[in-house]
Amino acid sequence: MRVIPRRLSRVLAGLVWLCPALGCAQESRASNTDRFAALILAAEQAAARGHREVSVRLARQLTSQYESSGATNAAEHTSAGRAYVLQGVGNVNAVKAALAAFDRATALDSSYLESQRRTAALFLDKYDAPEARALYSGVLRRAPDDAEALLGLARVEEFESKGNPLETARKSANANPRFASARAFIARLHLDAEAFDSARVTARSAVALDSALLDAWSVLGAVAWLTGDSASYREAQAVARRLQPGGAEFDVFLAEAAVRQRRYAEAVRLAGEAVRRDSLSVAALGVLGTNQLRLGDFAAGRAALERAFALDPYNVWHKNTLDLLDKMRGFRTVERGRFRITAPEKEAELLVLYIAPLLERAYDSLALRYDYRPPTPIHLEFYDVQADFSVRTVGLNGLGALGVSFGTLLALDAPNVQAKGNYNWGSTAWHELAHTFTLGASAHRVPRWLSEGLSVLEERRANPGWGARGSLGWLVAYAGGRIRPLSQLNDGFMRPRAPDEVGNSYYQASLFAEWVESTRGVTALRGMLSGYRDGQDTPTVFQRVLGLSLAEADTQFDRWVQTRYASAIAAVGGMQAAGSARGNRPSPADSSGGAGGATGGGSFVRIMREAVTLMNARPDSARALFERARGMMPAYAGDDGPSWFLSQLALQRGDTTAVLTYLPEVTGRDETAYDANVLEARVRGRRGDLTGAMAAWERALWIWPYEAADRRELAQLAAQAGDHARAVRERRAVLALRPTDVLQARYDLAKALADGGDMAGARRELLSVLEEAPSFEQAQALLLELRRRGGPR
Amino acid sequence: MSTRMRKMMALCGLLAIAAAPVEAQRTHVLFVSGLSGAPQFKTQFTQAANTLRDVARSRWGVNDSSLLILTEDSSSTSRRSTRENVADAFLRLSRRVQPGDVLLVLLAGHGSGEGPGSKVNLPGPDATATEYAAWLQPFAAQQVVFINTATGSGDFVPVLTAPGRVVITATKSAFEKNESEFLRHFVRGLEGGEADGDKDGRLSVLEAFRYARREVQQSYERGKRLLTEHALVSDSLVAARITFGQRATAADPRIAQLMAERQALESQVAALRGRKASMDAAAYEAELERLLLAIAEKSAAIKAAGGDK
Repeated sequence: MRVIPRRLSRVLAGLVWLCPALGCAQESRASNTDRFAALILAAEQAAARGHREVSVRLARQLTSQYESSGATNAAEHTSAGRAYVLQGVGNVNAVKAALAAFDRATALDSSYLESQRRTAALFLDKYDAPEARALYSGVLRRAPDDAEALLGLARVEEFESKGNPLETARKSANANPRFASARAFIARLHLDAEAFDSARVTARSAVALDSALLDAWSVLGAVAWLTGDSASYREAQAVARRLQPGGAEFDVFLAEAAVRQRRYAEAVRLAGEAVRRDSLSVAALGVLGTNQLRLGDFAAGRAALERAFALDPYNVWHKNTLDLLDKMRGFRTVERGRFRITAPEKEAELLVLYIAPLLERAYDSLALRYDYRPPTPIHLEFYDVQADFSVRTVGLNGLGALGVSFGTLLALDAPNVQAKGNYNWGSTAWHELAHTFTLGASAHRVPRWLSEGLSVLEERRANPGWGARGSLGWLVAYAGGRIRPLSQLNDGFMRPRAPDEVGNSYYQASLFAEWVESTRGVTALRGMLSGYRDGQDTPTVFQRVLGLSLAEADTQFDRWVQTRYASAIAAVGGMQAAGSARGNRPSPADSSGGAGGATGGGSFVRIMREAVTLMNARPDSARALFERARGMMPAYAGDDGPSWFLSQLALQRGDTTAVLTYLPEVTGRDETAYDANVLEARVRGRRGDLTGAMAAWERALWIWPYEAADRRELAQLAAQAGDHARAVRERRAVLALRPTDVLQARYDLAKALADGGDMAGARRELLSVLEEAPSFEQAQALLLELRRRGGPR
Repeated sequence: MSTRMRKMMALCGLLAIAAAPVEAQRTHVLFVSGLSGAPQFKTQFTQAANTLRDVARSRWGVNDSSLLILTEDSSSTSRRSTRENVADAFLRLSRRVQPGDVLLVLLAGHGSGEGPGSKVNLPGPDATATEYAAWLQPFAAQQVVFINTATGSGDFVPVLTAPGRVVITATKSAFEKNESEFLRHFVRGLEGGEADGDKDGRLSVLEAFRYARREVQQSYERGKRLLTEHALVSDSLVAARITFGQRATAADPRIAQLMAERQALESQVAALRGRKASMDAAAYEAELERLLLAIAEKSAAIKAAGGDK
C-alpha cells in the first residue's frame, strides 16, 4: 500500500525550519523590495522553457541564500516559496518548504495577496482543492476583481466539478481584459466540451494579448490536431517548441485532449513523445501510464505510473490506480474466443460462463451492423467494488457509471456491485462493446453523444427489454422542453444542467440513432461513422449523410419524436419531475408526491395515484383505473407502472392468464425487473410453458445471477425441455456459486453432462464425486448407468 | 511397501474407524427455546423446534420419551422453558440414558451475561452456563452434543467443555450480540441432504456444524455485511465421530454379506486415496473406477435384495 504524504496544512504545523535564521530575521513590512526578484524570474523562465536543470540550479541558488540569510519581507519569502516549488518534483521536502515560505510571507504581511495566491495554487497543484478554494475566496474577499484569484477559483471549480468554472473564468477575463491566461483557460473549457470553433477563437484572442502564452498555443494546437487542420497544428507546434524548447507541456496538453476525445492510442503516442522530451514530467508520465493501462498494456502502464508517483507522491489518481493494480494481482483472467475476461477470483467462473457467449454473439451482430471488425482479443474487466471500477475509469472513487469502453478494453461493474434489480450487466456489456465498434469504425472520432446513442440503440436491439425506454422522467423533460436539440446534445453529457439530464440525453441520442436507421437505414449510421473517421465535423456529416443541416435535422427529428410519443406526452402534460433517471426517478405511483416524485398535473399520474390507494380496499376499481393508465401510456413499464400493478391484482385473484398478459409488458420493457421476471418464469413454469419460463429466467440472470435456486430451476426446466447445453451451463453456474453441498452440485452437473451425451465429462465429474463420497448412492447409480451406456471404461 | 506408506494406510484405516457411527446408540434430544422478544423470533424458534422434532422422530428414530421440547409458552407438545423445567428435563433424561447413547441439547434464544454467568434468557430466572454444566454431569458415559445457538453464546464453550463432549455455539464470545442466523442454518443442516457432506446417508455433528457455518458466512457475504457471528465447535474429532441417522442393518445374511463386502470396498477406496500421491494418475483413476463400480454394483445388489430401504 502506497502512502500519500499528509496534507500540506497538517505537515506545516510540525515543520522544522530549514534554517534558524529564517525564523529570527527582523522583517520589514514597510518595504517589499525583493532581492530575489531577478533570480526567481530567471528560474521560472527557464522552467517555462523546459530547461529543468537550469531552473532547478537557479532555484537552489535562491533558496540557499534564503536559508542562510533569511528574507526581509513578504515578497522575498514568496520568491523563496516559488523557488522551492520549482524544486518540488520528486522532492516532498521542497514542497513543504515552499508552503512554509508562502505562509511566512502571509504571516508577515496579510495584505500581500501574491503569497496567498501562490499558496492556493500550490494546494491545487497538490490536489487539495478545498484549501485552495478557501484561500482564493479569502483573496477575493479582499479584492473581488482579482483576475488571477478568479482564474484560480475557476480552476478549483473545474477540479471539484462544483460551481461554474466557465462563468468564473469569464469574470476573471472581464476583471482584467488583458489577462490572457483567463482566455486560454476559457478556450480549454470550450475544447473539452468539443466546441472547437469557440475554443479556437478564444485561444486566438489570448494569443493576441500574449503571443508567448503556451497554454493558448496548446489549445490552438489541440483544436487543429483534433479537427485535422494540419497547417494550423504545425504552426502551433512550432511556436510551442520555440517557447518551450526543452519541455513537454504542449505534447502533454495534446495527449490529454486526445484522451478527452477517447483517442487513447494516440494519447499514448503523444504522451510517449512528451516523456521523451521531459522524462521528469509527472503529467506526461501520468497520461502515458493511465492510457497504456486503458489499452491493456499493464506492465508499461504500471511502470510509468510508478515513476510518476515517485516524482509526485501527492497524486491520488496515480496512487489509487497503482493500489488497484496491486489488488488485481488476485484477479483471474480467462481467454475465451475473441475475448479476454478478467474478474475477481470468486466472480470469474460464474461471470465468464454467461458473458463469454454473450460477447461472442454481440461481436458477430455488431460486426455485421457496422461492417467493422475490431482487433481481438477484446479485454473485459469486472470489478466487484464500485470504488475499484471508478478508480480504473477515472483514477478516483465516486464515478456513478456502470461500465466504460476504452476501445478494445472494457470495464464493468460486476452484477453484485449494485443492489438486485438495479442493474443489467448483460445490456451494459453489450452497450460498452458497441462503443468498441463505433469508436473503432470512426477511428475514435465519433462524438460522445452519438456513440452513446448508438450503444443504447444496440442494447434495445440485442434482447427484448434491454436498453433505455421512454421513462416518465424523459417524457416530462421532453414535454417541458428540457431536452437539448441535437446540435447541443453533447452538452447533455458533458455539461448536464440537472442530475437527470445525462440519463435523458442517453435516451434522446438513442432515439436519434433509431430515427436515422428507420428513415435511412443502417447504412446511414455507418456513413456517419465513416464521415467522422475521415475528419468531417458534425454539420458536414449531417449534410453528407442525412442531406440535412443541423437545424433541419433538429426539426425533422423533433417532429418524429412528437408523433411517436404524442399520447404519452399528452398524458404527462403539466407534470414536473425531479430526481435522476435511475436512482431517484419520478414515480407515478408515489402517492406522497414528495421529493423525487412527479409533481403537478398530468392525468396519468393522477389516475395512477388514485389506483394505488384503492388496491387493497377496492381492487376492482383499482384495476379499472390501472387499465385506463395503461391505455394512456402503454410504453411505461417498471415496478411502478400500471402493468405491474395489474399483474399483482391478477395474481391475487389467481388469474394466471391475466398475469401473463401484463407481466410481459414489464419484463419486455424494463431490463432490471428481476422480481417480475422471476414471477413470470414461475407462472409460466407452472402452466407448462417451458420455453417461456426459460426465457424469463434468462432475462433474470442478467440482472442477478447469484441465486443458486434460480440456477437450479432453470437447469431443471432446461433438462425437461431437452436443452442439455443450457442445463449444463446452469449446473456449472451452481458450482461456481460455491454451494455448501458441493458433491450434490457436482453430481447434478455429471447428470446434466450425461443427459447431454458428454459421457467423458460426466464420468470425470462422477469419479471425483465418488472419490470423496463412495457411499453416495445416486452417484453410484449414475456410474452404473454410464457404464451401460458405454461411458466408463 | 515402504514404512511411510504403511503408516499412511494405517492412518487411513484409523480414520475410517473413527468416522464410523457408534453401534447400537440411542439418541435423546432436548430442545429449549427461551424468550423470543419479537414475533419473528418466536416463529423462528417454533419452526426450529418442529423441524428438530420431525427429524429426530423420522430420521434418527428417537422415541417420544427421549424427545423433550421446552418452549417459551407451554403447549400440548411442549412444556414451558423455565429454569426448573429445564433442570427437570436433564434429570429425566439422565434416568433414561444408557452408556454410549447420544444426548443432543439445543438451546435457542437471546443470550446475556458472560463467562460462567452466560445465559440464555428464559421465562423467569435464567440458567447460567455453570448450571448447564452441572446438569450435564450425570451424562459422563454418554456422548453429549450441546448446541447453544443464542446470541452472545461463545462463553459456553470453555464452561461446558469436557472429554467426549461436543459444545457448539453460534458466536465466538459473549460479545457477539447481534442477531444470529446460526440456528436457522444448523437446524436445516440437521435435516441431512445438503449438510451430509460425504453423502453416506448419515449426518455427523461436524457436517451439520460446517454446513451451518458456511451458510451463515455466505448469507453475510451475499448481503455484503460484515460477519458478526463466528460459530465455535469445541472438539471437531468427537463432532466427526458422532453421527445421526439410522445405520443400515440387515437381518438377511445375504444382504448383510453384501453390505460387509461394500464396506470393505469403501475401505479400499480410502486406502487407495491414501496412495494417490505416489501413484501414476491413469493407474489411480482406473483402480478408483474399478472399486467405485464394484461398490455401485454392491449397492444395486443390496437394493435388489430388498436392503438399504
